[in-house]
Amino acid sequence: MDIYGSGLLGFLHLTWQSAGMLVIAGFLMWLGIAKKMEPVLLVPIGAGALLANIPLGGAAGNGGFLTVLREAGINTELFPLLIFIAIGAMIDFEPFLQRPYTIFLGGAAQFGIFATFFLAYLLGDGWLHILNFTLKDAAAIGTIGSADGPTTIYVSAILQTKYLAAIVVAAYSYMALVPIIQPPIIKAMCSKEERSVKMPVFAGATPQKVKILFPIVTIVVVGLISPMATPLIGCLMFGNLLRECGVTKSLSASAQNELANIVTILLGITVGGMMSGAEFLKAETILVFTLGIVAFALDTVSGVALGKLMYVLSGRKVNPMIGACGISAFPMSSRVVQKLGLEANPYNHLLMHAVGANTAGQIASVVAGGVMLMLVG
Amino acid sequence: MLEALWIVISRMVIIFAVLGVLYLAIVILLKLVRPKAKKGEAK
Repeated sequence: MDIYGSGLLGFLHLTWQSAGMLVIAGFLMWLGIAKKMEPVLLVPIGAGALLANIPLGGAAGNGGFLTVLREAGINTELFPLLIFIAIGAMIDFEPFLQRPYTIFLGGAAQFGIFATFFLAYLLGDGWLHILNFTLKDAAAIGTIGSADGPTTIYVSAILQTKYLAAIVVAAYSYMALVPIIQPPIIKAMCSKEERSVKMPVFAGATPQKVKILFPIVTIVVVGLISPMATPLIGCLMFGNLLRECGVTKSLSASAQNELANIVTILLGITVGGMMSGAEFLKAETILVFTLGIVAFALDTVSGVALGKLMYVLSGRKVNPMIGACGISAFPMSSRVVQKLGLEANPYNHLLMHAVGANTAGQIASVVAGGVMLMLVG
Repeated sequence: MLEALWIVISRMVIIFAVLGVLYLAIVILLKLVRPKAKKGEAK
């Protein structure tokens, strides 16, 4: 029995790890609130980390509410799938359907996932044994390069990596850093002449029948070839079908608003709750964050490289910069390319082309996640 | 190490195969559901 009431004095049990995590939790909330970096995610994540690291608080202990949320929403992969329904309902795929060739830019920009997986595995069990990265850990770390939070969570949860919290925080944090990571790479790879290439604006609207059939066809095609991607692509396209079919407007609105907001709160606070000091403050966590940046950078390099190939093959009609939008960091990378295009040529409006590649990247990242699971999981 | 290299190459090939089939499906869909040109009524 605790006759001295020391159980009431949490600070007596404060370790350097939990103190460090309280600082990190404060930093994440500061980034979200003061710097407006992904606030809808970093504020709940920071709050979750704060709750999980209060000594004797029990929020993330056995039976704690954060543990219950983790078991119900992350371990079952439910939260990322529900988020995908919301994302699908929010995305207008018309810019992509007007430029279906951009799907290949999306494919190229997934190279960062696999190159980073290769690097992580070489540092771990694959060759150097410097770090404790197994094949599945390396695959989960590589998935940061999908630039797609829900896919990263989904794949990492199925792979049961011990670095899940670090991977998810890295994935969401770097999404906000796209405007910093991408421009120097794009400028290094594309000359001003290439960045100035103007692309025609499509005025014609896509028939509504195509918009309705597109999600169904995508589920069937991707599901039949890469079955492990079915839950992800299925939820994404189901959300999009709600948006486009025209007879479920209230469901579409609920998916875009209530569902998105509720699951974002639960997902964010649960991920934060996984950031306990003893688990999070390790050398491997720093490596996970470093490899995450490498993944984003390599995605950009490979996307722009295919963009340059298209530039040459099309007789200089394709602006190679849109390749950088093959990552699914939507809509940040589209804005980056639009801004760089206007810098090179004040009359160069690339936004819709960039959005086309960006939404293609959303599909490609889901396929990449499924392919990663198909061969490693 | 060779195993990991094989995984990288094979996955990229599979991704492009899946996306290639999806591209063809979308192109076919767009051709099949092309909006009909309005014809002027000749009297």
